[in-house]
Amino acid sequence: MELTRLLLILSTVAFMAGVVHAITALRAGRWQENKWQFLPMAVGFLFQCAFLYLRGEMHARCPLTSQFEVFIFIGWCIVLLYFLVGATYRLSLLGLFTAPLIAILQTLALFMPDNPGSVKHVKMSVWEHLHAPLAMIAYAAFALACITGVMFLLQDHLLKKHHIHALFRQLPPIHHLSRAIMRMVALGVLLLAVAMISTFKIHLPISTVKMTISWSILGLYTVILLLMWRHTLSARHTAWLSVLGFMVPFLSLWVVIGR
Amino acid sequence: MLLCLGLNHRTTPIELRERLAFAESKQPEAAQQIKSLPGFEESTVISTCNRVEIFTSCDHNSPEQGLAVLHDYLVNHFQLNPAQREALTTYKLSHADAARHLFRVVSGLDSMVLGETEIFGQVKAAYNVALKAGATGRTLNKLFQRAFSVGKQVRNGTNIQRGSTSVGSVAVDLAEKIFDLRQCRVLLIGAGEMSRTCAQSLLSRGAKSIFISNRSYDRAVELAKEMGGQALRFDEWEGALHDADIIISSTSAPHFVVKPELIEPVMRKRHGHSLLIIDIAVPRDVDPRVNEIPEVYLYDVDALQAIADEGRRERERALALCEEIIEEQLRKFGYQEDSASGATLQREEDDNPVLPLTPRNS
Repeated sequence: MELTRLLLILSTVAFMAGVVHAITALRAGRWQENKWQFLPMAVGFLFQCAFLYLRGEMHARCPLTSQFEVFIFIGWCIVLLYFLVGATYRLSLLGLFTAPLIAILQTLALFMPDNPGSVKHVKMSVWEHLHAPLAMIAYAAFALACITGVMFLLQDHLLKKHHIHALFRQLPPIHHLSRAIMRMVALGVLLLAVAMISTFKIHLPISTVKMTISWSILGLYTVILLLMWRHTLSARHTAWLSVLGFMVPFLSLWVVIGR
Repeated sequence: MLLCLGLNHRTTPIELRERLAFAESKQPEAAQQIKSLPGFEESTVISTCNRVEIFTSCDHNSPEQGLAVLHDYLVNHFQLNPAQREALTTYKLSHADAARHLFRVVSGLDSMVLGETEIFGQVKAAYNVALKAGATGRTLNKLFQRAFSVGKQVRNGTNIQRGSTSVGSVAVDLAEKIFDLRQCRVLLIGAGEMSRTCAQSLLSRGAKSIFISNRSYDRAVELAKEMGGQALRFDEWEGALHDADIIISSTSAPHFVVKPELIEPVMRKRHGHSLLIIDIAVPRDVDPRVNEIPEVYLYDVDALQAIADEGRRERERALALCEEIIEEQLRKFGYQEDSASGATLQREEDDNPVLPLTPRNS
């Protein structure tokens, strides 16, 4: 088995182990927010880093040459943002919701053909190097907004139905989640905007479909952000938007990367 | 030899407990007085609203002898009359039983509200007073340090602190899962005892302000003064709905006072701001259909009580694990496995001997 594939499997197993441990602890009422909850995520992240490093060395550029690599790269961005957001907003339970998404992304990737795209070793400008990674980090921010939205909807449901148990106590307050969704969407919009503006400086050809889809996603999330800022919608509708909105960039990956 | 003589909410009525309470300023003096009694080497006095306990280390021939001296000290110090002496019931513990009792007290297992945390700080403060007064020595220093570590282990390693056990604390927990309490404004409709308790709990946890509306305006003014809030006439509370984050309703109206038709327009103007409604009245003040409005969370008294009951059950379920931790720590501290008799309750006239348990390392 190739070393990179082995690293990917180990990373996926670490994320799955994190989910199993968290669910078991929650069910037994033993879940506690502490640094050890980060451990499976950190281990999975290290294997992801090793995978991306080896792939980067192989291509002599950011490893985004195939659908297989894009999925892993997005997963890596999500975990990276999780570490930043989880610590800042005390949303460590976010890991419980993040890890399954990463595990799914990586499992999907494992079933994809691993044939790196033909990389032409041409000299690339800074913008050409930055464009794709920035867009992927923006997608990761939208993914985290989606996960936080799921947490909001769950907490809202528990409050409405008076289901006050272990999960309710561990989930952050809804006003906290609501703010976190908006910040994640804002971060995603900002990064995607920079990534899209950078296309004006790129000399390599980019397909029209890819451009249209990417600009549309930027437009969609800008509208969502404005609705959030102006409090046009209720917090629950905002959370639904962040969850359903992510389906668009997620599904577009197949179209965008295929071209 | 380690001894403990004490009384608490289970053994002694409040009339006698308040008579036997050591004032905070008198505790250093009391600890020193006990230490200077013949045969006593160290002492710490714990005195809270629910308990008075004296922990000592002494070199008497038997625990009974030392405990009798402590008992006499208590009676003489507070100059109890014969009737009070007769009514006085204490627990007399020695060796492992005394250590076990302290571990349980510090962990909140002996408290009126199982798992409460305040006692930890109170015992720590009492120990520091005795330490500063020079009344403690090697035995009590080791014992109390271990007790604090056991207390932390029990709290962190079990669910003994989990959940809320009173209606007031449930209301606070719910509010904290919805709002930033420091920004919260509370509207009290009706001024029943339980709604007042809920409002007090919210204010003590940092709620920003409170409006009080009652059929009797004078009563509203009186309560507002007491709670540092603002009184409203009863026909004015609907106007305050827009500004309130938490509504606590407890009127004696025989029909619904808060209806969806009233809340829906308010919610449209709140731009997604949530509203928590706590309906403590029986018959209910709030139409249950209000809970169907997005961002409105309605809890009636049964719902609050059910959550509090579940909290209590959860703590009781954690009790066995807590006791296991304490027994393990007792063994590590050097006490032999014993009959797990727990505290030995003895009335003053009781002649039963105190169970002597030998420390492994003594």
